[in-house]
Amino acid sequence: MAGPLISTKLRVPRLRRDLVARPRLLERVRRGADSRVTLVSAPAGFGKSTLVTEWLAGDPADGRSLAWLSLDAADNDAATFWRYVVTAFQGALGGAGSGALELIGSSPLPTDLVLTTLLNELAAAPGDVWLVLDDFHLVDSPEISHAMTSLLTHLPPHVHVVLSTRADPDLPLARWRAHGELVEIRAADLRFTLDEAAEYLNTVTGLHLTARDVEVLEERTEGWIAALQLAALSIRGRADVGGFIAQFAGTDRYLVDYLVEEVLAQQEQAVREFLLRTAVLDRLTGTLCDAVVGGDDGRDMLTTLERANLFLVALDDQREWFRYHHLFADVLRARLLAEQPDLVPLLHQRASRWYEAHDLADEAVRHALAARDVVRAAFLMELAVPAIRRDRREATLLSWLEELPDDVVRRSPVLGVFYGYMLMVSGDLDGFELRLDDAERTLAAAPAGSDPRWAQTEELRTLPATVAVYRASIAQARGDLAGTAEHARRALALAGPDDHLARGGAAGFLGLVAWAQGDVSSALTTFAQAVSSLHASSNLVDELSSTVVLADMWRAAGRPSTARRLCLRALQVSEAHGGSVVRATPDVHVGLSELEHEVGDLAAARAHLERAAALGEGAAMTEGRYRWFAAMARVADAEGDPHEALRLLDTAERLYRPGFVPDLRPVAAARARIWIAHGMLAEAAAWARERGVSATDEATYLHEFDLLTLARLLIARHRGQPDSDALDEVLDLVSRLHEAADASGRAGSLVEIRMLSALAHHARGDRVQALEALRHSWAGAPEPAAYARLYLDEGEPMRELLRAAGTDGPAREHARRLLGLDTAADPGSGRTRATLGPPPAEQLSDRELQVLRLLDSDLTGPQIARELFVTLNTLRSHTKRIFTKLDVTTRRAAVRRARERGLT
Amino acid sequence: MTRSAARRAPARYRLRVSGHLDQSWSHWFGDLVVTWDDDATTSLTGVVTDQAELHGLLTRIRDLGVTLLSVEAVDEDPRH
Repeated sequence: MAGPLISTKLRVPRLRRDLVARPRLLERVRRGADSRVTLVSAPAGFGKSTLVTEWLAGDPADGRSLAWLSLDAADNDAATFWRYVVTAFQGALGGAGSGALELIGSSPLPTDLVLTTLLNELAAAPGDVWLVLDDFHLVDSPEISHAMTSLLTHLPPHVHVVLSTRADPDLPLARWRAHGELVEIRAADLRFTLDEAAEYLNTVTGLHLTARDVEVLEERTEGWIAALQLAALSIRGRADVGGFIAQFAGTDRYLVDYLVEEVLAQQEQAVREFLLRTAVLDRLTGTLCDAVVGGDDGRDMLTTLERANLFLVALDDQREWFRYHHLFADVLRARLLAEQPDLVPLLHQRASRWYEAHDLADEAVRHALAARDVVRAAFLMELAVPAIRRDRREATLLSWLEELPDDVVRRSPVLGVFYGYMLMVSGDLDGFELRLDDAERTLAAAPAGSDPRWAQTEELRTLPATVAVYRASIAQARGDLAGTAEHARRALALAGPDDHLARGGAAGFLGLVAWAQGDVSSALTTFAQAVSSLHASSNLVDELSSTVVLADMWRAAGRPSTARRLCLRALQVSEAHGGSVVRATPDVHVGLSELEHEVGDLAAARAHLERAAALGEGAAMTEGRYRWFAAMARVADAEGDPHEALRLLDTAERLYRPGFVPDLRPVAAARARIWIAHGMLAEAAAWARERGVSATDEATYLHEFDLLTLARLLIARHRGQPDSDALDEVLDLVSRLHEAADASGRAGSLVEIRMLSALAHHARGDRVQALEALRHSWAGAPEPAAYARLYLDEGEPMRELLRAAGTDGPAREHARRLLGLDTAADPGSGRTRATLGPPPAEQLSDRELQVLRLLDSDLTGPQIARELFVTLNTLRSHTKRIFTKLDVTTRRAAVRRARERGLT
Repeated sequence: MTRSAARRAPARYRLRVSGHLDQSWSHWFGDLVVTWDDDATTSLTGVVTDQAELHGLLTRIRDLGVTLLSVEAVDEDPRH
């Protein structure tokens, strides 16, 4: 598993022996079984963790799974937090959560996907599952709060969460309170009552105080348990108990100051020193204490302190690790700071070195920062960068960097580049570029290429190549193809033979540039290199996603069978690995669907899309998600449902985001093609106007799809309203496109271009030329049998040409094969039968859409009704209407149909 | 505090808590001056760099379990 997890944080703390039974509170905690969240909210020292531990120890655990997590300040990083939460669940449920855990290693952290995966795994868990998050006030980042809200909102009814915290968390508590979904235990509930104080002081600690003394102590401490514990420690072994209590009651001093002073006064000098010096530590173990204090009896000292009940909490059963009670630690730290301020940095430095020697980078960095030893902290951070990257804990590193002075960050090329990268993630390309300039300057200025202050890491060694890859990505984001290629080539020159990540990135950018320029043969060579570099760097998700792009390139090269082979192999790899790799799998299915569609196997095309959608429910849809809708639109249109096809294209258009891959099949043009095929030429003409597509445009590859769409429009228009000038323009355009595609070896483009040339000649009435072009489209194709829909989608004129070509000549098998596949030629079915009028009246109302969205959740019927403030009967009638309109009979099918149509 | 005063950082603040806190807490609370008031309360007074530092101080107060009575910006240094 990635990332060092501190296993003691996942253990339920040991139950203290000196306990007061608190049946009234235990009863409340048990009520959490009927609600979503149990909130135990009170200041330090109110016995929050003890109460939860006591409940767990006391109640029979039959059928209950328990996940415990003690949080600390370092968990205020989303990736770290979720890694711990999922691991805690995993420990409780034995294995569940591995899918979610792998996802946490992805960047950017796919929070929604992690939550969905986790919720699915929790839903399958047998019996009640409890998650206890102790010290939840330590994680308050908006990102975590937002995700927690989402998790808790969708929690299956058998999963319960207990939050123990010093401050109310940023969660919709008021709503849950109003819905009776929140059990709350607050300071007023947790304070010891007079009876509990009496039981504690007399029965548990055996002090045998008078009723009056107990009353005074209870009143003075206001039932604050930590203070009563300190008071009991101070009283123990004292002759004049009454006098002490009277004095304590009479002072205005902050109770903890007063009582800690009393307790410390009772300790030997050595113990006092040990307590003060080790207070700088968040966690204590014998050898760490020895390193910090400069002694050799740390382990014995910890045992003594625990026996004397001096606020030491054991973190594991082996009694290796402890921590001080938080309140006590704060008091000790404040005293140390006041009494020996100069010692504090020294103690932190010692702790930092111990942690470094024990390979605990995070703690080493934190103590170096606490010592204000920024040079050392920077060095340790450089060492930590590879692990941080691997575990996707960029937020942690960023928060460290923010504690360093800017000149220290700039002095370190590794940290400077990382900081710049984070600037780019937040959209600041210029800032990123400045940091890259800094880093290259610093690297160049260092004698012998390095500086003794820099950690000698792989990261540093490969930095020049990494910087060049980053420059290529900046150029790409700015649409500068020449710049992208230049930087990518420089990166390849700088990268060593084994710098797979840099090589993969650089080759990938080069391949994409070549592709966008239409140079498919060099795109194929360089992109295949990128994929094999990604393979060598074990970056499976990127390898699979890139395989889909590579398959697209093979299709453009007229080799759909190679594309198919690559996709099928990618599927095998993905199925063999499972887990996070599944994210890349829907895209592979979409690619295969397009290939099946092209050969005319609509059932197989649909099956792949359904498979992708089913995977997509648990896995992500990446930036390729729009493509699913575009592919489904083509299937729907071929099946004779152009309305559905247009709806799907609307969704595709909404989902489309420009990315690294060039947009070679713009959705708007795909929509125009449907309009043209159904005679809606005015709409198609409006598209051409808005998009600014004209027959005299330059025949670039990026523009090819638009231009081939325009050619269809002009041909269709000529059939209704003959215009030979326009047809000449089409023939000229087609021949220019032909020339460009031929020069770059795009055999796939040539098939479509020649087919359109046939249609243009046919429209002009020149059957001889038309048949010649049609035969050429097969003769010149490396795999002529792989194309069917390309021809069949052209309707009646093409059918006529196919019939003519099927009578004799060298290409008659191709023509006959296509005619055999053409279901649309049968009366009563197919595309030519469908007409595009006004869409059928099956629009969902706003309210129905609202219901539909809630159906797409884990809420039960009654919960949905409550959410909408309607009765269950009203909800049922809404649901019935939705089912009718969507033509489904189950909730699951409704949700799937809604997603297909982009309604939810 | 006026708008311009709010923008003028750093600013002087006084935090009042119940009980008398030892002088030794001064360092812990960013070198604020610890003053005992007659009504069994303590004032922590001094210059706070910005709102983030102020919230950090409030968290420290929370973590000690002392009762926070008031937080106020004080315009003038009382010694002047």
